Order: sequence, then structure tokens, then C-alpha cells
Amino acid sequence: MDFASPSLDIQRCGALLADASPTTVSAFALTIAAGICAAGLAVLMRPGAQGIRIAGTVLALVGFAMLSVEVIKRASVGSEAAGFPPVFPVIFGLLSTIGAVRVITHPRPVFAAMYFMLTVVSTGCMFLLLGAEFMAFALVIVYAGAILITYLFVLMLAQQSPVVGVGDAWYDRVPREALSAVFIGFVMLATLSDAYFSAKGQSFIADKMQASEFDGAVAGWKRLDAMPKLLRVAAEQTLAVEVAMAKDPTAAATTPVAISEVVRNADGSAITMHADTASIVVKLTDGSTRTLALAPSMMPENSRQVGVDLVSKFPAGLEIAGVVLLMALFGAVILARKQIELGEDERRELAGMRRFTVEGEAGGSGGMQ
Amino acid sequence: MIDAIMNSSHVLVLATDSASDRSSINMALLLSAILFTCGLIGFLSRRNMIIMFLCTELMFQASALALIAFGKVHHDVSGEVFVIFILTVAAAEAALALGLIVLLYRRRETLDSEAWSELKEA
Amino acid sequence: MIELASLSNLTAQALGTFVPAILSDATSNGIPASIAAPELRWAGLILLLPVISAVLCGLCAAMRVKSKLPGLITAVSLVASFGLTLWLFLSLSNADGPVAARTVHLFDWITLSWEPTHQHAATRWTSVTAPFALYIDSLTLLWMLFVTGLGSLIAIYATEYMESDVGKGYARFFGCVSIFLFAMGALVMGGNLILLYLGWEGVGLASYLLVGYYYTKPSAVDAAKKAFIMNRIGDAGLALGIFLIWVNYGSLEYSALFEAMQGAGADGASASWTREAIPYLIMLGAFGKSAQFPLFTWLPDAMEGPTPVSALIHAATMVTAGVYLIARLYPLFELHPHALETVAWIGCFTALLAATIGMAQYDIKRVFAYSTVSQLGYMFLGLGVGTSFGAVYHVFTHAFFKALLFLCCGAIMHGMAGQLDLRKMSGLRNVKGFGIISWTFLVGCLCLAAFPFSSGYFSKDAIIGQAFASDNPNFNFLGWVAVLTAGLTSYYAFRVWFRVCGGPTKYEAGDEVHSDADEAHDDDHGHGHAPAATTHHAAEHWHPHGPRIAINAVLLVICAGALLAAVPAYNAMSGGSNWVQRMVAHSSAFEGAQLHDAHGAEHAHHALSFTGIQDVHTATSVVASVFGMAGLLIALYLHLLNRSAADHLRNGLLSNSLTRWLPIAMENKWYVDEIYHWTFRVPLWALAHVSHFADKNLIDGVVVNGVARLPMDLARLFQPLYNGVLQGYAATMAGGLALILAWVFWIWMQGV
Repeated sequence: MDFASPSLDIQRCGALLADASPTTVSAFALTIAAGICAAGLAVLMRPGAQGIRIAGTVLALVGFAMLSVEVIKRASVGSEAAGFPPVFPVIFGLLSTIGAVRVITHPRPVFAAMYFMLTVVSTGCMFLLLGAEFMAFALVIVYAGAILITYLFVLMLAQQSPVVGVGDAWYDRVPREALSAVFIGFVMLATLSDAYFSAKGQSFIADKMQASEFDGAVAGWKRLDAMPKLLRVAAEQTLAVEVAMAKDPTAAATTPVAISEVVRNADGSAITMHADTASIVVKLTDGSTRTLALAPSMMPENSRQVGVDLVSKFPAGLEIAGVVLLMALFGAVILARKQIELGEDERRELAGMRRFTVEGEAGGSGGMQ
Repeated sequence: MIDAIMNSSHVLVLATDSASDRSSINMALLLSAILFTCGLIGFLSRRNMIIMFLCTELMFQASALALIAFGKVHHDVSGEVFVIFILTVAAAEAALALGLIVLLYRRRETLDSEAWSELKEA
Repeated sequence: MIELASLSNLTAQALGTFVPAILSDATSNGIPASIAAPELRWAGLILLLPVISAVLCGLCAAMRVKSKLPGLITAVSLVASFGLTLWLFLSLSNADGPVAARTVHLFDWITLSWEPTHQHAATRWTSVTAPFALYIDSLTLLWMLFVTGLGSLIAIYATEYMESDVGKGYARFFGCVSIFLFAMGALVMGGNLILLYLGWEGVGLASYLLVGYYYTKPSAVDAAKKAFIMNRIGDAGLALGIFLIWVNYGSLEYSALFEAMQGAGADGASASWTREAIPYLIMLGAFGKSAQFPLFTWLPDAMEGPTPVSALIHAATMVTAGVYLIARLYPLFELHPHALETVAWIGCFTALLAATIGMAQYDIKRVFAYSTVSQLGYMFLGLGVGTSFGAVYHVFTHAFFKALLFLCCGAIMHGMAGQLDLRKMSGLRNVKGFGIISWTFLVGCLCLAAFPFSSGYFSKDAIIGQAFASDNPNFNFLGWVAVLTAGLTSYYAFRVWFRVCGGPTKYEAGDEVHSDADEAHDDDHGHGHAPAATTHHAAEHWHPHGPRIAINAVLLVICAGALLAAVPAYNAMSGGSNWVQRMVAHSSAFEGAQLHDAHGAEHAHHALSFTGIQDVHTATSVVASVFGMAGLLIALYLHLLNRSAADHLRNGLLSNSLTRWLPIAMENKWYVDEIYHWTFRVPLWALAHVSHFADKNLIDGVVVNGVARLPMDLARLFQPLYNGVLQGYAATMAGGLALILAWVFWIWMQGV
């Protein structure tokens, strides 16, 4: 496959987009879409009649649709094939967005927390779509399973129950300075989307994706290299496939071969990158050596890769994260426990020091010693 | 035959559908921007302190999403590793901040953040 | 008395050796180069003794000594100082070798030097050195003799005069007197202009402290301030003058300076305005210190100080510092004839103005204060018309007779409980204890009035005669004014004497009677009576008390000095030479030492030729004596024989609308103070208030506070954001972040 042409293509398209006037128009379209979203949100922020809420919802949905269309349109720029329409990203994005909007507009905190769970789950699905399986499940487990439960407990501890006739608490119903907040959000959204989805941003993403593809593969193989057991399994599987595929009806009597050892290079690595192909050399039981080309499916899966990176690349960060959690644990314990006022003597006693009032009164002179 | 296998094991096999990947990434980035914005707006405009913290969680989500999307762009799992740290911080924050909120609630019997305005000049 | 006796002896004998060759070619010789005389280092003691005395007086004040010890210390140290001066004088008189100034380097004081630049390869401009060095020539010695002599005499006088202040301001008084003597010594003996300036400011300080001695009296405080401030004006001129002297002549030490000046006169160096300005600036300093016309009003007010101070500082010594300055820098003034003419005009005008004011004053100290101003005017006239000898001789004689007059005033004041009004005293000569005062007073008045063959007669005629002898018709006119002023002087001097000492005996006590009387009569009347009653009783029981030995002795000694000051002139008349003249001739002021018509025939046609007397000085003596006698006789008639005539005259003048301004103006000192008040003080006051207003409202209000208010108002605009709620701050942060992002993506990165 030729890599040069799509790359050139993208570059050409990028240049085209940068120069052509429609770019400005479409950049403007992003901003308009963000503005429509913001307007819808602004309407939704304020408690109002049903009709107004529906209008706000429609407005926000229209804005979201415009944004999505614009964004997907830009994703397809530069690649010939239109490809499968990205239904799932849009669906999960919409769900996630609905959840987020409800979190910030729902007058009942418990519902807000529930909607937040919707957002978390949808985002987790988004993670899956991006190929981050481990993080998707970790997110759902940690957020939906742990953090949200904490929130719910605290809500139950602290939230006043709705008063009959009045409804929810005042501070939950009335947002403060919603318009200015929405405006700030609009500016944020407009700039961020402009940054991400401008021609330059898009060409940057496309270039980076292409340029790092090989590096990503190399990194993946390296991780496999660091896991000898897995490597051996991969070698055996590959060998089996090769043997099966090379099965020659004439060579029925050949003895089954097995791998006795994966040959390591001088630097200790077993996998060799040949152009775009990863291959290993194995010593067979019959004493011969054989070069095996590893199939991409042999690359370790996402959770293994993350695990290896976590301990091999960021051990300090991992430790610090552990310490942070420990400290949070201490902090939570100290915050939560009942405050007991101790006198000076008690505190001294607890700290293993001598009380200093009794002796001072009795002995007179040696009290402070 | 071996050549055929070699061809099939070409690394590009991983990126079978570049356009689809890119639209996923774009959607993820858009979603991260929207989530962050929603979190920001919520933090600024909601008065309930618990919701405010929920909004910070939203913003954490947004950044996690962006990290993973850019990790995908770079074909690098470091983005995911950083999301672990974000989760850590979020958990720690939830533990501490919620504890503090409970304490604050005990003091004023309200979750309204405007009940605390001691920073004001007069 | 011993000192004075030896002084008179010296005039007759010792000086012959000091000044071996007389004057014949002094002008062509120039000033002889000074000789370094390290063996005369002990002369520094003349300055050191007053310093020691001042320190000891300070110690006495700190230890609250309640005796006359400070006075004693000061008197002893000043007498010792005088003794040393005399010894120095004698040792130099008997010295062999050329008659030249001796420089005595005591210690380095200010030494600045730098590499010569290409512009001034000469060595002169490469340094500012002002060592603490003495420059001892005959002018210095002359001045120091009467400064230390009169200083010690007046200190002795003051030990008795100030006795009512023992334990209170006594030590302070004598400390200040000591400081004054040191400063005056530094002024006169200093070897460079910086040291002179140190002394100049030092005497100003001492004068300020002593004028304001009675600091609880508002008038004394005002007078002290006035003296100090007016002197500052003059001192500014002097400081600038000294600076310009350095700029133009490259040195501040006299010996180098005179050399440079004579060179400047010879080579006719281009007259830059800086060079032209020097004598006028120096003149300003001299006029400030010596109370000449624009800056004279402080001196009469300075009489608020104790009388010994008036006698010492404001009559005999400090006020002659201006004369000394010009005499010392006479070579400089010789280069600028117009400057000298200015000096003459201003001196003469001041003499006349002050004399007319003095005629109409009733306070006897003020009369003599104006008389001092007037006589100082004579001295400047002398300097201006070119007779430094006449000026210096007048300084010399005036120091004695004016000190005498003031001390007499002081003694009267002391005895009469502060009474100074000549209308309230009469016939004191017959009061017990006032005899010596009255007759020494008469001698002082005679000298002041230039009565024939008194010391003032000779010195004043030397000045006036020189004016008439000049070819310059302006100077002849000034001579006539001076003669007229001599008549006025005679009138007001004898007006005082006839009023106070002549006539029937009658007197009233002054203001200070309260304290004396209270002390004296507390036993009789007890406490608690009303102040009015006190006054009444005090006035009833008050008696004038004559001075005791210290005051009387000093009066007699100074009286003798005033009389003996004429001896040099007699010596000259009898074919010898005038001692003062020779002294001047061998100093930097030698140019004017020669009397103009020593050669007689050359000036056969002088301004007074109509008298038929060939010698202009003799003619002047005759004419001036006629005027003087006329003044005396008028005073005799108006103030002794027929006192009502004086009142009639005054009333007559007042009733005539054409002349009524005259007595009013004279009694009000020609309104000079008022003119200054309205022309300088009030505009400055108004300007100050306008400036204050502008400063407060424009600078402070608009500029400073306005600029400060700008951010304040701006901040107030955003103050609602600062509402104490966490989210407000978060909104600000987020808004800022959004703005920064927007700027980055849309502006900085050009909307890519």
C-alpha cells in the first residue's frame, strides 16, 4: 500500500481548506452552532414553562446536530472513502450531552447524579469506540460504581428533603448568573471547537495519526517483547497458523514441530521490525531455526498495554497517585470523625509527654522540666 | 504464501478504517469540549455545592475524553495512563470535598455556596 | 588695661620694625608672596581657646552650674586668646626678613584633587583645597587685635551684666560668645575662602543664637529670625562669589588667589560675565553681614539681644566682617572699578539713610544701631572711593567708640531696669553711680560725632577727604553727602547724650522693674497681690542702681581705647607714620593704603579748593568739623537748653502739610521694613499660598489623587465581581481563561 498519496492528499486538502473562502464560512458555522447550543442551554438553565423548555431543548439539539454534522464532515475531508457513517459516536455523544445538560439543569441533585451516571456510561462507550477498553470499564466502575455512590450518600446526608408546597430548595431551582456563565461557556466551546476542527487542527490530527501509526505499532510490539510468556504463546500460535497454512498434502508424514526457544538478539529483544513487519526467530525442537512474521492480532490488547506502560513508564506517577489516595483516605477520616476537644494535658499525654500541671502544682520548681 | 501472510500482517491492518476512526476522534473531541463547557457552566451557575462538585467531575470526564482521543491520535497509551491519574484525583477529590461539604452543611444547614462569602470586603 | 597700654605703646614704637619701608612703591610691588611659617603653629590656639571655652560652657550648661563659672571660663580664655594675638603681633613685628603674610598650616580640612584635563593644564584648576590654615598678615593682626581685645573686655563686662541669668542662660550666653569668637577668628585668620565662609556662617549662627537669647520674647525670636534670614540672602551671594572665584581663578587660598588676580589684572584677561559678577556677589555677602542698604533692617532689630552682644557682635566686630571681606579681596575689587563705585554709592546712601532714621528714634540702643549702620556705610564709602586705609581705620576707631556707646547703653539699661527711652530719662550724670557711665558715654559720643581731634574725627576725615580728593565728580558728590551725614551724626549722638545725661535729673523705670522689684519687696508685701499693685509698689520703691566694678572698669578701659585710637593719627601728624596705615599697606588691601594727596601739590585743585586750604584732608577736616559742630550746637539747643523747642519743631513740621511727611517717615524708618513687607514678603506669602493651593488641588488633587482615583474608579467598576462568593471568582477565572483562549485561537493564531 502506498502511504505517500493519502498523506499528500491530506496535505493538499489542508492547504486547499486553508486557502479557500468556504473555510471561513464553515469556521463561522461552528461558531454559529456553538452559539445555538449556548442559546438553547441558556433557555434550559432558567426554570420556566414547559413550552419554553421544549423550545430550549429543540434549540440545543439543533445546535448539537449542526456541530456533529460539521465535525463529521471535517473528519471525512481528505479520505476518499466516505466509510461507515459514525452512528455510534453520534448516539453516545448525544446521550452524554443530554446527561451533562440535565446534570446542570435538573433541580434535584439526586437526579442530577443519576444523569451524571448516564454521562459516565455514554462516555465509557465513547472510550470503547476509541479502543480504550480498559479505561472504559475502569471509568464506569470507578465513577458509576464508587464516586457516584459517595455523592449519593452525601446527598442523602446533606440534602434537605423537598418541602411540600414549596418544592425543591431555592438554591437548586434558581441558577446564579446563568447568562454570563453560558456566555463564558459559549466562548469556551467556540474556541475549543475552532481549535480542534479548523483546517489546521484537522490536518494536524490526520498527520499525527498517520505519522504515529508505525510508532504505535512498534511500541505495541516492544511491549510484547517485554512479556516473554505472551511472546512464546504468540510464537506458538503463529507457528501453528503457518504450519496449517503451509500444510502440504504431500508432506503428511512430517513430524509436528514445536518451539524450543525464542531467539533473542544481542540487545535482548526478540522481535525485529522489518519495514512494517514484525518478525521473530524461533529455534525449533528439531534444532532448526525459523523466522515467524507476527500477525497484528498477536499484539497485546489494550489493558495489557496500559498496564505495562503504567508500571514501566510512569512508576513515579503511580506511586504519587497511591499517596494521593492514601492522603485522601486520611483526610476523609479526619474530616468525618467527631471533633473532641482535648485539654492541653490530654494532648500531651496522647503525644507521650508528661502532664505538666499536676507536678508543677505539687513540686513548685520542677514543673516545667 | 508467506508473502501473503506478511501482507496481511502489515501494521496498517490495525487501522482498517481511517475515516471512521477520525470521525470517532472528532466526535470524542467535540464531546469533550461540550462536557467541559457544561461542567464549567454548571460550576458557575449552580448554587448547590454538591452539584458544583459534580460539575467538576464533568470537567474531569471531558479532560479524560480528550486525553484518550489524543492518545488515539498519537497511537499512544500514555493518554489512557493519564486518565488513571485523573480518576485517582477525582476519587480523592470526591472523598475530601464531599467530607468538607458535609462539615460545611453541618455548620450552616444549607448547601448554598453563597452562604459562605467571607472573602467579601465589606 | 594692660593690653590697651601695650597697644598704645606699640603704635609708637614696635611697629617701626614691623613695617620697615614705607609705602613708597607699594603698588608696583604688589602683594608679597606669603611665607609658610610652621613655627607659628601655636597661633592656632587663638582659635582653639574659644572652642575649649565653648565646650566647657556647654558642659556647665549640661551640669547646671549655678555660678559665674562659665563667664569666668570665657573671660579667661578670651583674655588668653588676646594675649596670644598680641604675642603673635609682637613676634611678627620683631621678625627679620621680608614683610609678608605668614601661612600656618594647622591640618588638612578639605582636599579634593583630580587629574588635570587638557583644557586646564595649569595646576590651579585641578584641586579644591581648603586646609585649616591661618593667613597672618597685618590686616589679620589688626582685626584680631580688636576682635579678641574687645571680645575679652566685653566678656568681662558681661559677667556682671548677665548676672541676673546665672544658672539659667548664663552658660548658654557665654558658650555662644565663645562660638562667636572662634567663628570670627576663623573668618579673619582663615587662609582660604572656605574657612572664611565657615567663620562667616559661624558668626551668623552665633548672632542668631545671641539675638534670640531671650527666646521667650516673641520680638527677640522674630529679630533673630530676621537677622538670620537676611544674612542668608547675603551669604548666598558670598557662596556664589566664592564659587565663581574658584571657577575664574582656580584657587581659594589667598596666596595663590592674589597671585592669580594680579596676573589677571596684568594680562587683561577677557572679561567674562562670571568674572564681572564676582565682586557684586561678594558685595552682596558683605552688605548682608555689614547691614548695608538693601539688607540693613535686621541690625536695628538685632538690638533685642543682650547689650554686650549688641556691643560686641552688632557694633564692633561681626558687622565689620563685610568691610574685612572687601578689604581682604581688595585686589579683586581693584580689577572692577565699577564695583568699587557701587560700593561707594551704597555705603554713602546707607550712611545718610541710617543717620536720618537714627535722628528720629527714641530708643537709645536703636539710635546707636542706626548709627552703626551709618558708620558702616562710611566704611564702605571709604572702600569704594579707594581708601582702604580710611575704611580700616574707621573700623578700628568705630569698634572702640561704638562698643563703648553700647556698653554705656547697656549699663544704663542694666541700672534703669531696662529703660531705653530717651524721653523718660534725663540728667543721669547726677544720679549716684552713673557718673562713669555718663562721662565715658560723652567720650563715645564725641568720637562718634567726629569731634575735632577725637579718633572718629581722623578716621572719618580720611574717608571723606579721599572722596573729595578723587577726580571722579560722583565721589565729590558723595563726599558732600558724607559731610552732611557727619553733621547729622553729630546731631543724633548728642541728642542722645543731652537728653539722657544732661538736663534736670528725672527718670522712670523700664519694663524689667517687675522682676527686680518682686525680688526686692516680696518680704514687705507678701504674696498674692494683684499685678497692678505690684507695679505700683515696685515703681514706688524702685531705685536705679549704678554698675559695679566690672562694668565700670571695662567702660573706662574701652573709653581709653577709644581715645587712644586717635594716637596713630597724631603720630602721623607729628611727622611719623600712621600705624594702621602701615598695617593696611602691607596687606592685600595695600592699594588704598596711601592717602590720595600725600604728595600735596598734585591735587591742588580738589573739590574743597574754595576753602583755600591746599591739603584736601585738612580742608575736609575743617568743613566736616563745621558741619559736626553745627549738628552739635543744634542738638545742644534742642535737647538741652530748650527742650520744648524740639517738640515745637516737630509739631511745626507736622502741622505743615508740605513737611509733615518728613518726621513721620524718619520715625518710621522710611518705611523700609514696610516696603520690604509689601514688596517681598506679601507677594511671596501670596505666591506661597497660591502654590499651596495649586499643590493641594492641582498636583495633589488632580494629578496625584486623580491618577490614584483612576484605578480606584476602574476597580469600583469591577467591584461587584468581588462578591465573596466562590463562584464569582471562578467566573472571573473562567472568563479570563475563555478570553485568553479566544485570543490565542482567533487572534494570535489568526483563526486557523
